[in-house]
Amino acid sequence: MNGIKVSRRDFLRSTGVLGGGLVIGFGMTGCGSEPPPVPHDSVSGAAAPNAFLQITADNQFIFYCPRGEVGQGITTAMATLFGEELDVPPRQFIIKEAGPHPEFGNPEFGGVQSVGGSTSVKAHYLPMRQVGADTRALILAAAAKDLGLLVADLDTKDGHVIAAGEAYPFAKFIHTAMSLPMPIETPLKPSSEFKYIGKSFPRVDALSKATGTAVYGIDVEVDGMEHAVVVRSPVARGTLIDYDDSAALKAPGVRTVVRISNGVAVVADSFWSAKNAAALIEANWDSPELAKLDEASLRDKYQSALNNEVGESAHSYGELELGWEKASHKVAAEYWAPYLAHAPLEPLNAIAYVKEDSAEIWSATQGPQLARRVVARTLDFDDSQVTFHSLQAGGSFGRRLVSSQVREATEISRQTRTPIKLQWSREDDIRTGWYRPASLMRIEAGADEEGNLTAWTAKRVGGNAFAARFETALPGVLPKGVPDNVIDFIAGTAEWVFEGIRVDESSIEGLGDDYVKEAQDIQHVTIDDGLPLLFWRSVGHSYTAFAKESAIDELAHQSAIDPVELRLKNVGDDLRLQKVIEEAAKHYRSMQEAGAYVGFAAHSSFHTRVAQVASVSVEAGKIKVNRVVCVIDCGRAVNPDGVRAQMEGGIVFGLGAALYSTATLTEGKISQSNFHDFQVARMGDAPDIEVVIIDSKEAPTGAGEPGVPPIAPAVANAVFAATGKRLRSLPLSLAMREADLAQESSKPSDVTAAEAFA
Amino acid sequence: MINFTLNGSPVSVASTPDTPLLWVVRDELKNKGSKYGCGAGLCGACTMHVNGVATRTCVLPLAAVVGQEVTTIEGLGTPTNPHPLQKAWVEHNVPQCGYCQSGQIMTAAGLLNSNPNPSEQEVTAAMEGNICRCGCYGRIKDAVLTASAIGNSEPVVVDSAEADVQ
Repeated sequence: MNGIKVSRRDFLRSTGVLGGGLVIGFGMTGCGSEPPPVPHDSVSGAAAPNAFLQITADNQFIFYCPRGEVGQGITTAMATLFGEELDVPPRQFIIKEAGPHPEFGNPEFGGVQSVGGSTSVKAHYLPMRQVGADTRALILAAAAKDLGLLVADLDTKDGHVIAAGEAYPFAKFIHTAMSLPMPIETPLKPSSEFKYIGKSFPRVDALSKATGTAVYGIDVEVDGMEHAVVVRSPVARGTLIDYDDSAALKAPGVRTVVRISNGVAVVADSFWSAKNAAALIEANWDSPELAKLDEASLRDKYQSALNNEVGESAHSYGELELGWEKASHKVAAEYWAPYLAHAPLEPLNAIAYVKEDSAEIWSATQGPQLARRVVARTLDFDDSQVTFHSLQAGGSFGRRLVSSQVREATEISRQTRTPIKLQWSREDDIRTGWYRPASLMRIEAGADEEGNLTAWTAKRVGGNAFAARFETALPGVLPKGVPDNVIDFIAGTAEWVFEGIRVDESSIEGLGDDYVKEAQDIQHVTIDDGLPLLFWRSVGHSYTAFAKESAIDELAHQSAIDPVELRLKNVGDDLRLQKVIEEAAKHYRSMQEAGAYVGFAAHSSFHTRVAQVASVSVEAGKIKVNRVVCVIDCGRAVNPDGVRAQMEGGIVFGLGAALYSTATLTEGKISQSNFHDFQVARMGDAPDIEVVIIDSKEAPTGAGEPGVPPIAPAVANAVFAATGKRLRSLPLSLAMREADLAQESSKPSDVTAAEAFA
Repeated sequence: MINFTLNGSPVSVASTPDTPLLWVVRDELKNKGSKYGCGAGLCGACTMHVNGVATRTCVLPLAAVVGQEVTTIEGLGTPTNPHPLQKAWVEHNVPQCGYCQSGQIMTAAGLLNSNPNPSEQEVTAAMEGNICRCGCYGRIKDAVLTASAIGNSEPVVVDSAEADVQ
């Protein structure tokens, strides 16, 4: 076998695959337990050398992508890693979204099959290639046996084995391969031999998405399918007291109306019929505490907590008193970031078909394994009774981590016993979804005459997305058999236990990072308004970077030190951060010299370093962002144009939130409902964007999210350069709120604010 | 039954006259390329051509297209015979989640129908009603300008190596 190492553990047979097959994945299954069959499509004559690949008789390669495609380009990146080592061109794969199976677990999430945290390329850079290399070695071993040659005499090219000048399709050897042990630890290619990694080429799905042929959840149809729309509590987590469905039942096309755990579902012959009839449902809901909140009382509540409550401490070091004594320049400022909806362009949907002892689901989620568990738990089924078909998503940005649409469809179909296609409307999405938590943050910072940071305190008031997520996710991962009330108890207890012991890292991440100070303290005060909270592209960084990078800019102006110099002076030994700042600084200077109003921001997130320069103009009180230069170090860029696209997209996504988006409360209800009042960036808002990728041979780090955090502070800092006005509230507006004006009049400039603090 | 022309072929549908054209085309006629994004004419994901003019079909009642010619993304081009805009979309690697792209391309095609050589400002003005949450605007603009430069009549080279995500 030419020294190929073999693992018995990975040599698992899957009788569920046509033609039998060797099944290996990322080794999550472990020893001793027989894994369930891998959820492959039945393809006549196809064989599956591992969980990720089916090779058809005519040498087509079907790749089961373990991470969900939500637009980030992961199908292209994974196909690149796999194809590089397997020696199949990435664009030659037929790519499918993998269904739930232990072999598709995400190593960064303890084997849970989930996409998020910009982990996918970082986590799979080596494992995905290893599977490709091992599979290629297996094919070569089989070819050597069939052809009576030595492996050393063989080579591969584009899905073919090359022997004595002849090219044989991989498919020719697949059945022999099935009888051979799976090689492991096959040496990976040196980077000098990369054919695809590090090269830019269009996404594998570009043409299907440009021709309307790409299939999303909303496009799936099942025989006998009925359409459902759910009426939910207008105030989050309100419970249904009673409802009158008499008018709805008389509406055209309506089949039935059923009650589910969080609302009333109208089932009809079409979405249009169901949506119209749902408007006729008269439902009475109880009023949770949240119903007492509107935007003014919410802000008062946060302000009071910031002023009066002592937070939990994290990331504290040094002697703060000493640090303040050494500070010759000080600033203190408060920053606000609102609740936000994710608003992926494809509103949530799911198809559920619940039968007597099985269920079948079609939906796009960020975690199909968790979503399947939710279905099984709802129905009191085993996971094995639930077939889950994963679909690519029309955007997510964190939203599809929660699969409430899957549970709702399941609850409806359990009652109707028909296939139910549940479609959320845009109004459902904006008004009754899950939200990026609102935050009020106060930063106090001091620097000595040379610009060395001597003291830094940051306090954040707001909800904890992770705790909220934990409560929701736990029932999904806990083994079946634990009674619901125990699960609820455990979830509640766990959240309570976290309180007072540790701060939810996702709430404060980034507030105390990037710059080295003599002393710092990060504090957190938890507020639970009762609104469901969820990660939103870049999570805590989406608001902490705004506070941190605004504050550092304020301190620079207060100290009369160049904002870029102040940052560079304090990056410590973070050479990657230093380099992106230095590179971006060149653009900052040249744009400044050309007369533009420019702002600078740098922020690390998801192991990636990003610096951004934004130039703005202000006309008639409206902020226009003209140009953004973005410098990123994400290690080796697997597909540089993919990284570029994620930076461009992250900047525009973040710009929408920086300039327009907000979800506000009126008597506990979300005041916005659609894109006319939940505004997002449009083409006219998109600046010219130049992305510079630092050349790196290091292992890849995240790219999906790190482009978002720096844009809001870069723009706010540019607005200061243009107008002398410091905007500390998102979305940025030169027409200030009355409360901000009042605050402003008590400390009208940065200088007096600092003096007041000193 | 209501009759109109879809992508060059006469069709006859049973949906009620108040049903938005989008749902008739998607669910009754099974052309799934046009998307639902807002249901209020705010995002452009549902854009089709009615007699060559880009139109928001999530708010257009079926009754309004009796006897009219409706073109969807499926009628513009196919993976084996893409329209110059679709080719430019691939060349510029435009799509991310891709959900808005049918509507973006139909709006762009409507623009090029009436103005074959738009300026950058004219492209931006025409595309302002189409939301892309992934933020692909810069590439969309570049692709429209590229397609405009190519012109609409040039024969298109087929890229048969294209993989498809399902």
